[in-house]
Amino acid sequence: MTIALPPLASEVVFHLGALPVTNTMVNSFIALVLFAIFAFFLNLGMKKYYAKNQAPKGLVNFFESILEVVLGYIDNVTKDRKKTLKFLPIVGSLFLFILISNWMGLIPGTGSIIRWVSENGHLTAIPVFRPADTDLNMTLAMAVFAVIGAHLIGIFTIGFFKYVNKFIKFGDLYHAIKTLKPINILTAIIEFFVGLIEVFSEIAKMVSLSLRLFGNIFAGEVLLTVLAGLIGGYGAYIIPLPFEGLELLVGLIQAIVFSMLTLVYLTMATTEPHAHVESNIDHKHDTMEFSEVERL
Amino acid sequence: MILPEILNSVVYAQEAASGGVAGTLGLNLTYFIGQLITFAIVLLILWKFVFGPVAKKLQERTDKVEKAMSDADRITKEKAEFEKWRQEQMNVARKEASEIVNKSQTDATKAREEILIKAKEDQQKLVDQAKEQIYQEKEQALTSAKSELANLVTTAAEKILRQKLDDKKDAELVKETLKNI
Repeated sequence: MTIALPPLASEVVFHLGALPVTNTMVNSFIALVLFAIFAFFLNLGMKKYYAKNQAPKGLVNFFESILEVVLGYIDNVTKDRKKTLKFLPIVGSLFLFILISNWMGLIPGTGSIIRWVSENGHLTAIPVFRPADTDLNMTLAMAVFAVIGAHLIGIFTIGFFKYVNKFIKFGDLYHAIKTLKPINILTAIIEFFVGLIEVFSEIAKMVSLSLRLFGNIFAGEVLLTVLAGLIGGYGAYIIPLPFEGLELLVGLIQAIVFSMLTLVYLTMATTEPHAHVESNIDHKHDTMEFSEVERL
Repeated sequence: MILPEILNSVVYAQEAASGGVAGTLGLNLTYFIGQLITFAIVLLILWKFVFGPVAKKLQERTDKVEKAMSDADRITKEKAEFEKWRQEQMNVARKEASEIVNKSQTDATKAREEILIKAKEDQQKLVDQAKEQIYQEKEQALTSAKSELANLVTTAAEKILRQKLDDKKDAELVKETLKNI
């Protein structure tokens, strides 16, 4: 019996011209097509009910009811409905895309439908489908998008100089020097360097977001593969079942964690910096909230 | 059983590690850009056709409900104020009506008493007039009766006495007779 443990890197299934297409990309495209179909039917429903000003039914009603709950959750973080509506498309898209990508990995055929590719003179079996989030390129792309997007939105919302002063605190240093009090100047110097450290923490955010999602989903794939291979015969069909359920949960939790962290980054980036002491207290409070989510 | 495969994957990882940590983890700029573009398209679709319009509609509906609720509150408040004003006006109207009724009753009582007094006076007047008239008519009747009786007596006396007296004596005789009656 052989077990094809998935490698860390995604594998090239075929080439589109000169462009290589990996098996995780195939899954991403499928997710994209699914979302396009969903959007098409949702818009059909919206045209039907919204145009006539009728109470929505079916798909539109279902989606609206979910969105109502999601908006409530986002409101709890942003404390502002305007911000919630602004962040919803980003956070919601991340959540749906991650969730569907993770769950697609549990559909039979993912990892088991293979294509024989000739590599260095001998044939290698390459799975045609592989969950998109088991590719670090995918998770990193989303993490980079989330963190850089949060910074850009922050700059556009509170202004370039105010935003940059969160990290490079020349303004605070200048005000401290103006007071001529040594303790203020010392605090400002310390905060200046803390601000510089914050710049590195922004890179850490991208790394932690992407590696957490990649690690969890990839580990799930490996776990399911190993469990299916541990026991032969009918056991291979039964043993992984509870773990499939567990993976459903992991897929959902990871989608929530990624999107909630992005939401927190967005909210923090668009919050105006307060006075000196207050900002420290707020920051500590935010950090506590993060750590609870990050623990997942 | 499974060990050779795990060892194989370790070998693959080691081969990939020739490209450093990034190579081991499968990081590749082309794939990264490809996945970024895929996600960007997904985001665009969901933003433009899913979250954008539905969230907008939900917000419109929320605003509409909030407006309806605030309108309902305002209307309830206005209704309460109107009810208070109406009650006040009703109290004023009731008070005025009561005053009018009381005044009317007083006036009516007064008028009735005046009419009664006048009626009694008129009645008394009529009674007095009637009495006076009766008295006069009685007097007249008595006078007439006396005169008639005198003539009768005279005639009777003449006939009885079969004697003719002159008129003067006759009258004196009658008068004398009458006084003695």
